[in-house]
Amino acid sequence: MKAEDLLSGITPLLEPYIARQRWAAADPGGKVSVEKAELLDGFEPPTLWLLVRRHGDLYQLLIGLRPEDEPLDLGERDVLGVFASGGKAWFAYDGLADADIVKHLAATMDVTGVEDAIVRPVGAEQSNSSVVLGQKVILKLFRRLQLGPNPDVEVSTGLDQVGFNHLASPLGVWSRDDYDLAVAQEFLAGGSEGWALALTSLRDLYASEEEDPAVAGGDFASEARRIGEMTARMHIALGKAFGVHPPSLSEWADALVQQVDRLRLGADVRLRAEALARRVVVLKEVPSVRVHGDLHLGQVMRADAGWFVLDFEGEPARPVAERRLPWPAAKDVAGMVRSFAYAAAAALHERESSEREALEGRAQAWEQRNRQAFLEGYASVEGLEDVLPAEGPDSDAHRDLLAFFEFDKALYEVAYERAHRPDWEDIPLAAIERLGKG
Amino acid sequence: MKDPVPGRPAAESPAGAGPGGAAAAGPAPWFQHSVFYEVLVRGFYDANDDGTGDLKGLTSKLDYLSWLGVDCLWLLPFYQSPLRDGGYDISDFFTILPEYGDLADAVELVEQAHRRGIRVIADLVMNHTSDQHPWFQESRQDRTNPKADWYVWSDDDQRWPEARIIFVDTEKSNWTFDQTRQQYYWHRFFSHQPDLNFDHPAVADAMIDVVKFWLDVGLDGFRLDAVPYLFERDGSNGENLLESHNYLKRLRAEVDASHPNKVLLAEANQWPADVVDYFGDGDECHMCFHFPLMPRMFMAVRREQRYPITEILAQTPDIPQGCQWGIFLRNHDELTLEMVTDEERDYMYAEYAKDPRMRRNIGIGRRLAPLVENDRRVAELLHAMLFSLPGSPILYYGDELLMGDNIYLGDRDGVRTPMQWSPDRNAGFSRADFAQLYLPPLMDPVYGFSGVNVEAQMRNPSSFLQWMRRMLDVRRQHPVFGTGAFEVLPAENPSVLAYVRSHEDEAGHQNVVLCVNNLSRFAQPCELALGRWEGRTPVELLGRVPFPRVGALPYFVTLAPYAFYWFDLIEVQEETL
Repeated sequence: MKAEDLLSGITPLLEPYIARQRWAAADPGGKVSVEKAELLDGFEPPTLWLLVRRHGDLYQLLIGLRPEDEPLDLGERDVLGVFASGGKAWFAYDGLADADIVKHLAATMDVTGVEDAIVRPVGAEQSNSSVVLGQKVILKLFRRLQLGPNPDVEVSTGLDQVGFNHLASPLGVWSRDDYDLAVAQEFLAGGSEGWALALTSLRDLYASEEEDPAVAGGDFASEARRIGEMTARMHIALGKAFGVHPPSLSEWADALVQQVDRLRLGADVRLRAEALARRVVVLKEVPSVRVHGDLHLGQVMRADAGWFVLDFEGEPARPVAERRLPWPAAKDVAGMVRSFAYAAAAALHERESSEREALEGRAQAWEQRNRQAFLEGYASVEGLEDVLPAEGPDSDAHRDLLAFFEFDKALYEVAYERAHRPDWEDIPLAAIERLGKG
Repeated sequence: MKDPVPGRPAAESPAGAGPGGAAAAGPAPWFQHSVFYEVLVRGFYDANDDGTGDLKGLTSKLDYLSWLGVDCLWLLPFYQSPLRDGGYDISDFFTILPEYGDLADAVELVEQAHRRGIRVIADLVMNHTSDQHPWFQESRQDRTNPKADWYVWSDDDQRWPEARIIFVDTEKSNWTFDQTRQQYYWHRFFSHQPDLNFDHPAVADAMIDVVKFWLDVGLDGFRLDAVPYLFERDGSNGENLLESHNYLKRLRAEVDASHPNKVLLAEANQWPADVVDYFGDGDECHMCFHFPLMPRMFMAVRREQRYPITEILAQTPDIPQGCQWGIFLRNHDELTLEMVTDEERDYMYAEYAKDPRMRRNIGIGRRLAPLVENDRRVAELLHAMLFSLPGSPILYYGDELLMGDNIYLGDRDGVRTPMQWSPDRNAGFSRADFAQLYLPPLMDPVYGFSGVNVEAQMRNPSSFLQWMRRMLDVRRQHPVFGTGAFEVLPAENPSVLAYVRSHEDEAGHQNVVLCVNNLSRFAQPCELALGRWEGRTPVELLGRVPFPRVGALPYFVTLAPYAFYWFDLIEVQEETL
């Protein structure tokens, strides 16, 4: 059996299958062209690997093939259908839904000890799908491909090599032809997202007799502090792994003001944006490092051994080349600080609108307390001087950068909320109102 | 997994970290399946109307303890003592404190307990004696008498500065000057409790004679008080020394040889990675208390997340075959905060000890019920975890009634008030005059004996006491709680703590009990990956209600506030249900 012989039969099945997937662009009725086809060596059942182009996007497909009379019991989403080839009828399906194929893939990446593991899918993201093998290994298959190293693989491998251990250790990578296709990592069993923990704390506070988050039972500040410590260690390690670079300050400074114009936020906001930008532009010797790029409470995970950072892909909407650029570390710090505001507001939105006003004071107190704890935790780590402006985390320069990136992040949030959740716009607007004053 | 928590012992894999004996050949030792009950003789029942509980009184209440379903009593010290530290200041190891009775009463207690299938262990303080002990009285006379070196003497108070002061509320130094001998003596606890010198062979032998004497009387073992401190060495903090371990190994060997099937339960208030050394290679102590777990159980409920618990369990190493942890919610001491970080301690103080009077040494002097603001749901949840986490549970007398405390009493007496038997005079504890009682019983409107007592709760089928009895009954029917392997199951919801206990029975059948706990005061959903047990049916253990069969997809469970489930995952044909 050869891959090329299967193509005429399977190609008509591809578009309806891809169109059903969360990882595919939503354009309807696109044409799919196969750029590469290969039967993977030694895989049983036979597994067809395809590189296909659709609307200019490049996808890899992993397709399992079983005789038509021995199909797998799968959900509709994972089935491509039946086709004939060489006088035989084949049942074609998503290979990631087949434990045997997943284990072959793991073996290809030199991952051992999962031969008898139970394989289960764990959620699909915008650009990849993951399965967990026996609570030990998580295998992530990149669906939409971009040329060059995948930032998640690149950064987690680099951090692992310099001894940063707040991340799922990379166990293996599957790459070919300059594309990273899949990555296997240690699975953080028993973990919960920081977002879920923050909401647990907030729900407790909002239902408490106590107004002060420091006194309420579900206080989150010690966790926020630990997240801050981890973030600082991450930046130090990123500096070691990918070097410390001089920044190009004026470019993003201009971008900030332009964004205010695009969002039509008014003259007052524009003035403050200009003031923030001016203070940043004059800064000298601001080191830049590779950053996480999309750091928020949903990207950190609490497990029994402490906190972990997840997903170094950066903002998926941006091109890879841009995501690999160095930035001042304050960009990540700002991302997490904004996330505390969002968590407090999200928990507030869970409540009846009639209650919200009464709870607003608590929401602000929670945000303030955890923001403070996070920043203190961040500043408490030794070794930051290499990746921060001179005089470290307490310097005016770092504070100016933090305010700048908080403002920047809030502008991005305004744009996002206007497009998706107009009644949430007040969350970033409140931050914009506060920032850059005085 | 690497361990990013700084300053802690490295995490060991928690998977399959059951207590020793999970796959033991032959029957598991008794203490691995026992529920212990810590009882203050002074506070339990007064048989001779003098206002103080006694051994005869305890003997007369054995039927109650048997009804409740406890397997082993742990008696606080009952030896001759000036009672300046609740009897932990022993002045004669071979004599019963006269207020408690005499040796014949002790023999009778042990015999009657054994007749009911209840074992008895007692506290024994090895590290020190009272300063009233004849050994010390002799030792202090001069520097040449036969017992001159039975204690630790020094010309100055500068030696071993690395040793911390444990009772920081009352003691300024570990050395105290003795006017008679004109030297300083060493004491890790109160200044009236001089440390014995275990480097002296006669002292080491004498303490083994004490142990054997009481085993001859019929005791089933000892709770060994303050074992990390037996020896002192230059340049060390005097805790967990090799010499102390070697002495305990010798003690174990001698006990095994002369009195098999006994238990030595070590009190070593240390991090789990250090405590496991007291199990040796299964040749030192049979059991050790797991101290850090207890405050973290309270913390987890308060913070509504499981990580305080799972974190410490992940740091708890496996223990040798035939050993067991002793786990507890409360005991006669304060809620110990030595084994939490400073930040956690501040949090615990803020949450559980709002009144500074509640704070004792490094801990919180409260009973279980006031600690959880008398929330019965939380008390049930905490006990459900206590009975299902790895280890043998140790109950504290009165907590089965949700008794309260009296924080206005001195030292640690607040949690040592009389057992509340009935709404009668003196809580049914004693027929002495009220003024004669060793401590007043609780009489406040919430926890007072008029409402909270054994008699009332035995009559009320929905009382906490009856619930406790039922739980102990269910636990007894499932030996997997005593010796099964333990594994935490991942759950995305941080408020849910789910774990399985599992072992293979004699027929080669895999017994699996799934425990799911909701640490939140709100209802919570939870998805569990139970794929390994696909096809099994979860049967809830208290009501025997079958739940939907486990399928290939994550198993979905909803939990009421502070709810818990114990599910037996059984293999069963659908039609037989």
